[in-house]
Amino acid sequence: MKFGTERYRPLDVFDELVDSQGEPRPAASALCRYLSTLDAGEMRQRRAAIDAAIVTMGISFTTYSDGENIDRAWPFDPIPRVMPESEWRHIDRGLRQRLTALNLFIDDLYNAQRIVRDGVFPGELLASSRNFRKQCRGISPPFGVWANICGTDLVRDVDGTVYVLEDNLRVPSGVSYMLENRMLMKSAFPDLFSACRILPVDSYTAALYDMMAALSPRVNERPVIVLLTPGIFNSAYFEHSYLAQQTGAQLVQGTDLLVGSDDVVYMKTIAGLRRVDVIYRRIDDDFLDPDVFRSDSALGVPGLMRAWAKGNVAIANAPGAGVADDKVVYTFVPKIIKYYLDQDPILPNVPSYLCMDEKDRGYVLANLDKLVVKPANESGGYGLLIGPKSTQAERDECAARVRADPRSYMAQPTLQLSTAPTWDGDDIAPRHLDMRPFVLQSHGMYVTTGGLTRVALREGSLVVNSSQGGGSKDTWIVGEPY
Amino acid sequence: MLSRSAESLYWMARYLERAENTARLINATQQLLLDLPQGASFGWKALTRIVGLDKLFQQNYAEPDEGSVVDFLMASQRNPGSIQSCIRFARENCRTMRDVLPRDLWECVNSIYLASRRYSHAGLGRKDRRQMLEEMIYDRHSVSGVLANCMSHDVAYQFIGLGEHIERADMTTRILDIHSAILLPNQAGVDAEMGLIWVGVLNSLSGLQMYRRHAATAGSGDGGITSDRVLRYLVADRHFPRSVVYCLDAIETHLAELPHNMDPLRALRPARRRTDRVSTEALRLSNQHEFLDAVQGDLAHVHDAIAREYFHLHQREVAADALA
Repeated sequence: MKFGTERYRPLDVFDELVDSQGEPRPAASALCRYLSTLDAGEMRQRRAAIDAAIVTMGISFTTYSDGENIDRAWPFDPIPRVMPESEWRHIDRGLRQRLTALNLFIDDLYNAQRIVRDGVFPGELLASSRNFRKQCRGISPPFGVWANICGTDLVRDVDGTVYVLEDNLRVPSGVSYMLENRMLMKSAFPDLFSACRILPVDSYTAALYDMMAALSPRVNERPVIVLLTPGIFNSAYFEHSYLAQQTGAQLVQGTDLLVGSDDVVYMKTIAGLRRVDVIYRRIDDDFLDPDVFRSDSALGVPGLMRAWAKGNVAIANAPGAGVADDKVVYTFVPKIIKYYLDQDPILPNVPSYLCMDEKDRGYVLANLDKLVVKPANESGGYGLLIGPKSTQAERDECAARVRADPRSYMAQPTLQLSTAPTWDGDDIAPRHLDMRPFVLQSHGMYVTTGGLTRVALREGSLVVNSSQGGGSKDTWIVGEPY
Repeated sequence: MLSRSAESLYWMARYLERAENTARLINATQQLLLDLPQGASFGWKALTRIVGLDKLFQQNYAEPDEGSVVDFLMASQRNPGSIQSCIRFARENCRTMRDVLPRDLWECVNSIYLASRRYSHAGLGRKDRRQMLEEMIYDRHSVSGVLANCMSHDVAYQFIGLGEHIERADMTTRILDIHSAILLPNQAGVDAEMGLIWVGVLNSLSGLQMYRRHAATAGSGDGGITSDRVLRYLVADRHFPRSVVYCLDAIETHLAELPHNMDPLRALRPARRRTDRVSTEALRLSNQHEFLDAVQGDLAHVHDAIAREYFHLHQREVAADALA
């Protein structure tokens, strides 16, 4: 296999490893040199070794549609995605700015609502937001931070600009795969790591612990931290147990906890009940507390909201943080940054059309074949219309949904997502990808070095979600000299 | 430690131990078949009785021949006690407990599981079968190694130890009972022919070498192997790790590390009394089955006491008002 102009043909979009002439970009030069020394046979061998490691390590995710056979191995591509450190520093600053502003925004919405009174954010949007929780009004969690853990999706367009695609502020997942991908690469390609300066990623779990420990209501005592999972059948269960293991948190299910008449959360242990200080919850607001939200929820803990409101337990992310994780709210983020920080956004949003706005809606309905239409509140790529790849019937169905409930939809131009060389089993071919860095915030702020790169493994596909045929790559932030 | 976690760890260990001992039981039986004296016959069906699953077997199979019994014990999905089922349950429990277990342990258990998926496809020829089961036992040793050397000997470890030793003690008594499955042509000279059988039992528990070093008496003309001595060794020896008494010692040691251990320790006493002083009467061939049955009953009481004390908090609805 020759890597470069002879064999690898980038598409007419930005490629992360090579330029439009097919020449390696400077930060990827060591990687490309190395790859050009491997032939397809060797590549297959490494691939097989990685697959075996994935199966043995039991790295898996779960899809709902698989019925009984719920455990599927994590599809991992052995060719990393590379980004120069200088570019990453810029993104890192942009993420810090964005998350600082978003947390100020959420805290404001649940308290004084200055931004609404000042006419910057429309009150009717708030009134119709599905993720705004009335029950959280008047509460201010530790440090005023609601979204303690955020996964922000970034994409690169054809001209090389990196855009923010969305902010996942409810229960973002994927960080364990970022960490495991690095482990896999180190074991399969150890020689590569001495060939260039790849910044490490593994401080995440320590930072996660510190972030959570800082939230504990009992100062000067060793905090009892638990990770609340819906259980083994959840698609992200592997990650839940992985993070619990790495941070020393107790992995609990709703039935392991109870709230006493003293409004304190306890867990049921072999030695009786033990107080819980911090809950890293991986279940949605709706299921947290059947007394307050969905009463049929068996995943949550009755009385949890009461204990949280009294400050007896910290919950990360705070209930209600999802109000800013809404694709309509997303379109206001540049204004939100300007309003709270008086700064221009460092990272641009993808240009967006709000279907609630009559003029925008007209444009969207007339251009469905060119746009991506997204529901405001769904995650995981469900309910998405990708205009250029849709059928007339799909577009008609989408138009009807938009007309019936314009508040719930927004649209964006179809971005020419960047690609990177990806092993397809026989050869290296370009595949589209995005990137999800993770941001932690409580007493301080932490941004992962790079993030999780998700790649659409099917040729031509733009959907990177693991539940829909996506895979992932190791993400290298590479320092100079290259 | 969460009640639910404690229970998962305990069962993970029990399932692994059961899988290993069922493998030992099948291998022992296979060895015995080769050594059986002329005219003796072996009741495969009895094997299902030994592990307490004869009713379930009858519901699912027409003929109690070798193929059916081995399939039932090794691979059947409908038998929750088959080796494959045990390994699957152990893996599920291990998977839910990955946060407290060393990572290497998961990898060991997972690879045992991956290997066990071949059991039903192997055609179950004797040679392949033996090799697979030996591999399983061998891999199980890695699990013990990881537990001993890579895990804090903390509360989680104690629950693993409890599950492991209760199950092992129980299965040792069942493997000892194997002689009841063998029908000899005449009752005369029984002991001499049983000698071969006891060699098989000792071998299946990796105990022949240790028995010869520590328990066999010279000059009796039977190679030192008699049914009462083997039985006494595998029930009451303090130093052989698969003997019942050794397991009871281990259970006591593990319990000593746990809070609120009064009731479980008390529940251990009947098993202790029965096995500390095994009467010669109990060791007579005709009484053995009854004796081993009684030990199994004692062990069940120990299990009940542990479950009551440590596992039931999460099963019971705890009245929130009982607090504060």
